[in-house]
Amino acid sequence: MNIKVNETPIRTSRNFGINNIKLTDIKIPKNSKIFKSIEITNVKESSNDVISKKLTYGNGEILEKNVSENANHKVKIETKNSKDLIKIIYDFDDENTELINEIEIIGNKDANVIIEYKSNTDKKCFHNGIIRTIVNEGCKLNVAIVNMLNSESNNFEAMENELFKDSKLKYTIIDLGGKTSVTNYYSNILGENSNNDLKTIYLGKENEIKDLNYIAEVRGEKANIDIDVQGALGENCKKNFKGTIDFKKGCKKAKGDENEFCLLLSDTARSIALPMLLCTEDDVEGNHSTASGKVDSKSLFYIMSRGLSYKEAVKLIVKSNFNKIIERIKDEEIKEEILKEIDRRLN
Amino acid sequence: MKTKVDDINRNIYDIKNADNYDFKIQKGLSRKIVEEISKQKNDPDWMREIRLKALEMYQKLELPTWGPDLSELKMDDIATYVKPKTELNSSWDDVPEDIKNTFDKLGIPEAEKKSLAGVGAQYDSEVVYHSIKQDLLKQGVIYTDMETAVREYPEIVKEHFMKCVPINDHKFVALHAAVWSGGSFVYVPKGVKVDIPLQSYFRLNSPESGQFEHTLIIVDEGASLHFIEGCSAPKYNKVNLHAGCVELYVKDGAYLRYSTIENWSKNMMNLNTKKAIVGKDAQIDWVTGSFGSKVSMLYPMSILNGDNAKTEYTGITFAGKGQNLDTGFKVIHNGKNTSSLVNSKSISKDGGSCTYRALVRIAENAKNSKCSVSCESLMLDDISRSDTIPVNDIRTDEVTFSHEAKIGKISDKEIFYLMSRGLSEEDAKAMIVRGFAYPISKELPVEYAVEMNNLINLELEGSIG
Repeated sequence: MNIKVNETPIRTSRNFGINNIKLTDIKIPKNSKIFKSIEITNVKESSNDVISKKLTYGNGEILEKNVSENANHKVKIETKNSKDLIKIIYDFDDENTELINEIEIIGNKDANVIIEYKSNTDKKCFHNGIIRTIVNEGCKLNVAIVNMLNSESNNFEAMENELFKDSKLKYTIIDLGGKTSVTNYYSNILGENSNNDLKTIYLGKENEIKDLNYIAEVRGEKANIDIDVQGALGENCKKNFKGTIDFKKGCKKAKGDENEFCLLLSDTARSIALPMLLCTEDDVEGNHSTASGKVDSKSLFYIMSRGLSYKEAVKLIVKSNFNKIIERIKDEEIKEEILKEIDRRLN
Repeated sequence: MKTKVDDINRNIYDIKNADNYDFKIQKGLSRKIVEEISKQKNDPDWMREIRLKALEMYQKLELPTWGPDLSELKMDDIATYVKPKTELNSSWDDVPEDIKNTFDKLGIPEAEKKSLAGVGAQYDSEVVYHSIKQDLLKQGVIYTDMETAVREYPEIVKEHFMKCVPINDHKFVALHAAVWSGGSFVYVPKGVKVDIPLQSYFRLNSPESGQFEHTLIIVDEGASLHFIEGCSAPKYNKVNLHAGCVELYVKDGAYLRYSTIENWSKNMMNLNTKKAIVGKDAQIDWVTGSFGSKVSMLYPMSILNGDNAKTEYTGITFAGKGQNLDTGFKVIHNGKNTSSLVNSKSISKDGGSCTYRALVRIAENAKNSKCSVSCESLMLDDISRSDTIPVNDIRTDEVTFSHEAKIGKISDKEIFYLMSRGLSEEDAKAMIVRGFAYPISKELPVEYAVEMNNLINLELEGSIG
């Protein structure tokens, strides 16, 4: 079926082709069997009693309804022990190719959470998920989402966060997999002194589509949002990045920074960016920047003069751009997997 | 504590003349009205056909689904053609007293004497005065009103009219093409450098009416020109409409600088369209100051078709109470080695809303192109609004593209510093705002820079502190 995904808070001219993009021939499964290939680590108490309230933005009505009616895995986690690294690994295989999931994370204590989607099958996989995160007063939460699905798959993820007073949410998104990968990230930064730090890497190739729609509404006084997106696009890949920082009235002394850099590895790749700053409060500081370009020829020359091939040199440059973000992943094994996947995708 | 003035006396800009006209078409828009305008203007058949085709397009096209609210605009309440009680004159002495007085107060004849090579002055729907220096005439430069151009240079007009901006571009372009009247036509022949600027000034006096002037400028190969456009209107209680259209052709190796100071009254819907097609090794620079109007939707566009073509955009927008100014810049890089440089600033205060909305598209063939965009917004209070909505569409890897924007208020540190040097808080803030606007005002012709600073002072008066 044809679906429209990822609408921005402010409409743009239809001719720009960036808002509410149309995806064709997306098969949205219903009545999928329970997804069984899951590994959950360090979760002492979890339940499947997740809040199913309507998303503020999300990936569109059809996909949201698909989750609320057909989820084949739900998990609710309340963090209780700051030393634990919580991992949820969805390992797609020949028997488990469809995942429609809902995750709720309640941050009561400082914690690290990693959610990974990977394919151990060549079959086309489908993932449509919602992750809701609440970061309670004074709590620090690190959440990492790692998408390493195979190149035939469709990946849809909607993330929605609420941040209360003095809380800190460090969010890392590693978006490598999927023929089509659509992510919607919405943060409601409510509390005074609350801080949301979001860093993303994406890597697209062939005819893949990446659509990223990040929205941060800043409401708390002295609140902070920092968005940093680093990407690389090869072959005929098309990427849309839509980033919105919306300073709401009353968020005095709030700060917001948004940065996107897209490395173009092919002359047929297409990078569209819409970095928006919306502001109804004067006592704030907001900055955004975007940049695109090919691999720096001086860096290439330097690396190749040390005996590396062109391909190896490009890999090194891409990885060096991504490295500071990959370093945020707290699990060495997953970090290794990410680096290997980048190597594989750049071959 | 803030002291607020409800509505600013915009002195000379607000002077109203009696609504004396020779002919005012009935309000609304219909085939009959368009045919009547065409008849009044004695259009050739081809122009009449364009008008009627555009009317059909207007009826088909939807209002934009994005941008400011246009619901207050009721075409049934707008008279699209108002002919003032005079013909086109080449001497100010022949212009009727009340109209001449208006332009006198706006300083147009004075500027003509001092610093302009030619002047066009439009009052409501018709150009009432046009002149050009003899030496430019001898070099083959044509500067006249559009109606004369349609009659005397039909081949050039036919080749270029509504070609750079097609009639189906958007609803208000279609409206413009159906009811256009007045405007300027400039042709600068190959290799001719026009060192002193030409200026057209557009004044809308009649209430509940629209101005739809068409500006067509062709700067031929290797030629250069600086064209200045000014516009203003007194304030009425009901909505007026400005839907002009500017088509610029900058041929290979040519240079055009297009400066605008827009100071429409605050009941004006300013839905203007400006586009330039730029040839090989050619350059267009836009300098724009947007102060007036209730609602503006204005996004000048450079289409860099030729290799090595360049464009620069320098613009400032100042929105006060009741204003929603949605402005920006669009650039399409089609040629190789093309470059664009965008520097936009906006100030919003007293509940005003500024939006910077832009497009940068670097097409597949535009190898080695460069684009740099900088956009700054200043908010003077917490009841105003400022948004930045840029779309960057990069379709090739051989590019250098960067965009940066920042938003914020006047820094307390800067105010403190200036006050420690003896300035009052109001003066310190006004100085900072003028400093913020300086990179733009220095690009304007001196008279306009002075006018812009006066406007800033006028806008700031009594509203900050």
